[in-house]
Amino acid sequence: MRKFLAVVKHEYKKIVYKWTFLVGTLLFPVIGAGFAIVPAIIFSLKGEPTRIVVIDESNKIAPRLKVNLSTERLSERARNAAKDQTVGLGGSQPEQMKRGTDQMTSGFEFVPHPTEGKSLDQIRRELNERASSDEIDAYLLIPADIDSSEAKFEFRSRKAGDFVTNETLKDALNQAVRSQRLAEASINENLLKDLSQNVNLESKSINDKGEEKDSDMLFIASLVIGMMIYITLTIYGQVIMGAVVEEKETRIAEILFSSASPFELLFGKLVGVGLAGLTQLSIWVGSLAGVIAFLSTQSDMSSIVDSLPSVTPLMVIYFFVFFIVGYFIYASIFALIGAMVTTVQEGSQFSFPPIMIMLIGFYFGFAVIRDPNSSLSFWVSIAPLFAPLTMPIRILAETPPFWQIALSVFINSIAIVALVWLASRVYRIGMLMYGKRASMPEVWKWIRQA
Amino acid sequence: MNENNAMLRAVGITKRYGDFSAVEDLSFEVRAGRVFGFLGPNGAGKTTTIRMIVGITAPDEGSIQIFGHPMSAGVRDRIGYLPEERGLYKKMKIVDQLRYFGALKDISGAEADKRIDYWLDRMGLAEWKNKKTTDLSKGMQQKIQFISTVLHDPDLLILDEPFSGLDPINVEFMINVLAEFKTKEKTIIFSTHLMETAERLCNDILLINRSRKVVSGSLREIKQAHGKNLIAIRSDGGGAVLQDRSLVKNVVEHSDEKQIEMAENADSQTLLKRLIESGATITKFEQIEPSLNDIFIDQVGGAK
Repeated sequence: MRKFLAVVKHEYKKIVYKWTFLVGTLLFPVIGAGFAIVPAIIFSLKGEPTRIVVIDESNKIAPRLKVNLSTERLSERARNAAKDQTVGLGGSQPEQMKRGTDQMTSGFEFVPHPTEGKSLDQIRRELNERASSDEIDAYLLIPADIDSSEAKFEFRSRKAGDFVTNETLKDALNQAVRSQRLAEASINENLLKDLSQNVNLESKSINDKGEEKDSDMLFIASLVIGMMIYITLTIYGQVIMGAVVEEKETRIAEILFSSASPFELLFGKLVGVGLAGLTQLSIWVGSLAGVIAFLSTQSDMSSIVDSLPSVTPLMVIYFFVFFIVGYFIYASIFALIGAMVTTVQEGSQFSFPPIMIMLIGFYFGFAVIRDPNSSLSFWVSIAPLFAPLTMPIRILAETPPFWQIALSVFINSIAIVALVWLASRVYRIGMLMYGKRASMPEVWKWIRQA
Repeated sequence: MNENNAMLRAVGITKRYGDFSAVEDLSFEVRAGRVFGFLGPNGAGKTTTIRMIVGITAPDEGSIQIFGHPMSAGVRDRIGYLPEERGLYKKMKIVDQLRYFGALKDISGAEADKRIDYWLDRMGLAEWKNKKTTDLSKGMQQKIQFISTVLHDPDLLILDEPFSGLDPINVEFMINVLAEFKTKEKTIIFSTHLMETAERLCNDILLINRSRKVVSGSLREIKQAHGKNLIAIRSDGGGAVLQDRSLVKNVVEHSDEKQIEMAENADSQTLLKRLIESGATITKFEQIEPSLNDIFIDQVGGAK
């Protein structure tokens, strides 16, 4: 037992007492925050206003268009779009795109252009010249008869690729033309707007206790949890493999084997590295809880915090339990691979299968979020190897009955025992085999050997 | 050999890897307080045998008892093992590695630190205590590995090719350290293919070749048993005695002495007596022992 603890301490210190651990622990949340913040910053960067000439042959549209494209209107639109984005994260691709463009619109500057007594072709030529001499960026020709099906609105821009400006202009123009048509048909525009208001569909899921959860936020939270488990399992699996290969490569294994039993060494390694992983995860979870607690004190952020799925202390405990279960499953697989191979590079090739299994488990998580009570969700959340990735998501989405959680832990604990047993068999012999990578039949022979 | 005196007893140990048998029906004893040389050409089965002694692998057949017990955690802690293939953690401080290896042998805390300081000082490596392995030369690393072997003051020291890769000065240094262990009544088993070193250090030897025992016993007995009964003589007169074919088989003249090969079953003491009786003046009369190297080549080469 003392030797086992010595191994645990050694492996733990080897990882945690390193500046890379500190950097990694701090960097992960920073990178995570970066993913959320950087796009917002980029989207908030506004370009130069577009200098545009509007030639209105109908003489009806231009004033309405100018109102629609005024700075006040545009910033109001941007505010609404930003609000939509925080509250409703879902939505189709075009909708999200539109929200993005609404926020980025950089405004229009209307440039006058004398038109008296000129033909349309002449005006076009003049405007093209002005554009090529960089006096204007774009021009819009509105036809005389806007209601005709032949009517062609001509928009020419030097910045044809600027979809933000194009979209904004198109919206404003459509609105202006529609308003004009409504006015001509003597329909009250405001009345129409009120009547054609979309219904406000608030989508929340209900759990057994009758509590409501915001489904968009639930999706994000599940994704974060799933990612966190997947990433930590992958990282610490690789750490285990690296440590095993190092001891094999440097021939330390032989000294270790003469001092302690292979099982003490392997299990000590698994526990020591696992504790290091748990330390890191606790720091992350702790700081996440801290950030949420801080946000909830800020009044303008509290609406976001309120929309987060409710996380009970019991859930956090479950979360750690499944992390530990998953860690032991995958770490023993990675240890087994480490004992088979001769270099870390060789090991990386062999780590593809377990990483693939984890990834499949992670994707099953999406099915679980969609319907936590389906039979698929039930099976993948108790299946060995998948459960550590899917069960935490399921618990977050809708905590299943306790017996299912217990069954999942039980089944996966059996898997752990089997995998640790297998790994220690391979470890015991593989660690002393230098020079070449073991083939599968050889590994099978090691496992059967007493 | 008295039974209580045997610190290690191997009986009929056999180890096979598939069809290849690395060690075949090997039996030997190692007496307490002696230096036991384990000799043999490359691939003879030395490392396999040593791994079985240390308990890293188990024999397929036969048994090994150390301190009168089969291998156990308690037995393991009294053994210090320096493998032939040895290493250190590359990016770890020397002192931390030694603390870890000590802890694995149940030596920790202040006691471990005291011993680490003593040995680092002894090896002239005190200033490297907080350096990493990669900063050390290969010879220094070997010394660190040796420290990790003796840190827990083992009763039985098992060294697999301890001198390979060391420069002559360090070989000399290590021999002195081992000699000190010998005076402390520790038992040392070491394998080597350096016969001169073995000859200087060993009390007993075991020579194996092709998985099997060839010769074993005390160095003295083996030399006597394998001597061709050669005698170097420097004398005036006594020529007639040397002609006696019942005593002398062959005489080789050297510049100032003769090398005599005794006849079968002839006793060197009789020869000496006859020479004195013949009135010869004897300035040198020495039984020539074969070197371990000769025995090694004779036994191993002959078996091929």
